[in-house]
Amino acid sequence: MAGTAARRWHRNRPGTFYAFTGPWLAGFLLLTVFPLGYALWLSFTNYDGFSPHWGFVGLQNYQAAFQDPNTWSSLARTLVFVVVVVPATIGFGLFLAVLVNQKVRLRGAFRAIYFLPVVVPPVAAGFVFRLLFDRDTGAATAVLGWFGLPPVEWLADDKALAVLMLMILWRVGSNMVISLAGLQGIPREVLDAAAIDGAGAWRSFLWVTIPIMSPVLFFQLVIGVIDTLQLYLPALLISAAGQASLDTTPSRGLYIYMVHVYTQAFANGNLGYASALLWLLTAVTLVYTLVIFRVTRRVVYYETGPAGQEDRR
Amino acid sequence: MIRLRTALRSGGLYAVMLSLAILFILPLMWLLFIALKTPGEMLEFPPHVLPRTPRWENFVEALTYVDFLGYARNSVALAVLYGSLVTVSSAMLGFGLARLPAPGKRFVFGLVVATLMIPPIITLIPTYLIFARVGLLNTFWPWVLWGLAGSSFLGFMFRQFFAGLPRELEDAAIVDGCGCFRMFWQIFLPLSKPVLATSFVLSFVWTWGDWVMPALLLNDDRSTLAVAVGSLYQSTGGGPLYHLIAAAAVMYSLPVLVLFLGLQRLFIRGIATTGLR
Repeated sequence: MAGTAARRWHRNRPGTFYAFTGPWLAGFLLLTVFPLGYALWLSFTNYDGFSPHWGFVGLQNYQAAFQDPNTWSSLARTLVFVVVVVPATIGFGLFLAVLVNQKVRLRGAFRAIYFLPVVVPPVAAGFVFRLLFDRDTGAATAVLGWFGLPPVEWLADDKALAVLMLMILWRVGSNMVISLAGLQGIPREVLDAAAIDGAGAWRSFLWVTIPIMSPVLFFQLVIGVIDTLQLYLPALLISAAGQASLDTTPSRGLYIYMVHVYTQAFANGNLGYASALLWLLTAVTLVYTLVIFRVTRRVVYYETGPAGQEDRR
Repeated sequence: MIRLRTALRSGGLYAVMLSLAILFILPLMWLLFIALKTPGEMLEFPPHVLPRTPRWENFVEALTYVDFLGYARNSVALAVLYGSLVTVSSAMLGFGLARLPAPGKRFVFGLVVATLMIPPIITLIPTYLIFARVGLLNTFWPWVLWGLAGSSFLGFMFRQFFAGLPRELEDAAIVDGCGCFRMFWQIFLPLSKPVLATSFVLSFVWTWGDWVMPALLLNDDRSTLAVAVGSLYQSTGGGPLYHLIAAAAVMYSLPVLVLFLGLQRLFIRGIATTGLR
């Protein structure tokens, strides 16, 4: 129908496409590419934000980054964090999704309760977790006290990282809803067929549900690793206890990579050095993303065109 | 016999779900308890759980100790400003990606997906230096710019929605002699009301909850509630006033919690399709 009109329409559209995506493209250039480039340039200087005498120092900042024991220890802490938190949130999220996908009464209410922490603003969440695990006044101390156990200094050393992990795990609701959407997308017939073939609930979960869910779980893995690598605010908030400031340094146990970056930038004023640290992380993130995209094309499984037809480029 | 087993099983299921629910609610209850304790009671050792007599004055004090309502006004202004701009801009991005063919479109789509992987925190330090240089510190302009630029997460969500609509919509519009922009405003946008609402609500809640950007870009007296609750309740000696912070945190969290309970569906769909937390 309307052959010529449709053809004219198609001819007109390249410009229109760029008109519609123009704001985003402009923002991408000005607010992402340009700052990243600026940071790259700064990473070769000794800029500190104040001193008028600053200049090009070549690769010194990168050299310093590799020799800085804080870089390695914060990186190690971050990796431990990623390795524990990402599988834990995906697994626990899937478990909760299976629970609230059962046909039980009040499941809507349970769903809402498990998701609720995701909506609690980070400032409030960080403050609560700081106080829950306060040595003298915390709920953890109260609970230990009921069993006659002495209080524990949760936030002083590496145990603080466990508190941070708990806080992230508390916000598992986003993983739950992603997995839940995946579970609800599994065709009824497939599960029925498995049941007819004599598979019990557990076996059909392992051999039918999990394989069908694999893109959904994989998606969470990709996003989860990147999110946790760049975690900053919760660490700052837990150690700050209502006195958060960009130039305070969190305690040892919470000194993860992004904390290292921000401490160098704002507490120590080493903006050039911080830019180098940022770029190292950016490079790791980009390489990770590229590898992921190469290794599995499944990440692009959401690439479908308008209903019932191929994607027209 | 079988009946008994199903009863036991569903009983066990409830027990598990209920204990988990209690664990999830616990931190919020603890916050509320602290908000109702006296300053001295808060610091007692060993700690006790329930406040002896709820001290509701904490809430009144929290409202006046810092200019709570002023900060709330800033938070609302920023969240509405950013939320509406980013929604329109992301809807346009999604529409272009889903419905308009052009050379280079695949590349643009690749860029959008790639930026999903670059969280803003990574560009924040250089962005701060650039905004400082061009004089945008302590203004709301950064949020306007971020809003106009749209979000790749939300753009992606809109793309998914627009791509699912039938092709006939365009054909009808073309026959009616309707241009692209009119088609977008008069046909596609009205159809996407639930997605628009999701986008607005999600971006509202992010801006409401964000601490880093306002702490970095705004002075303390022009900042948002997040910064006030996170940093400004200090005694004259410089120590944190836990009971007031807790009361302020309750009042600060309540609007978004209520928003969530009222609009659950929107939140859950938004997060399930974008993966953003």
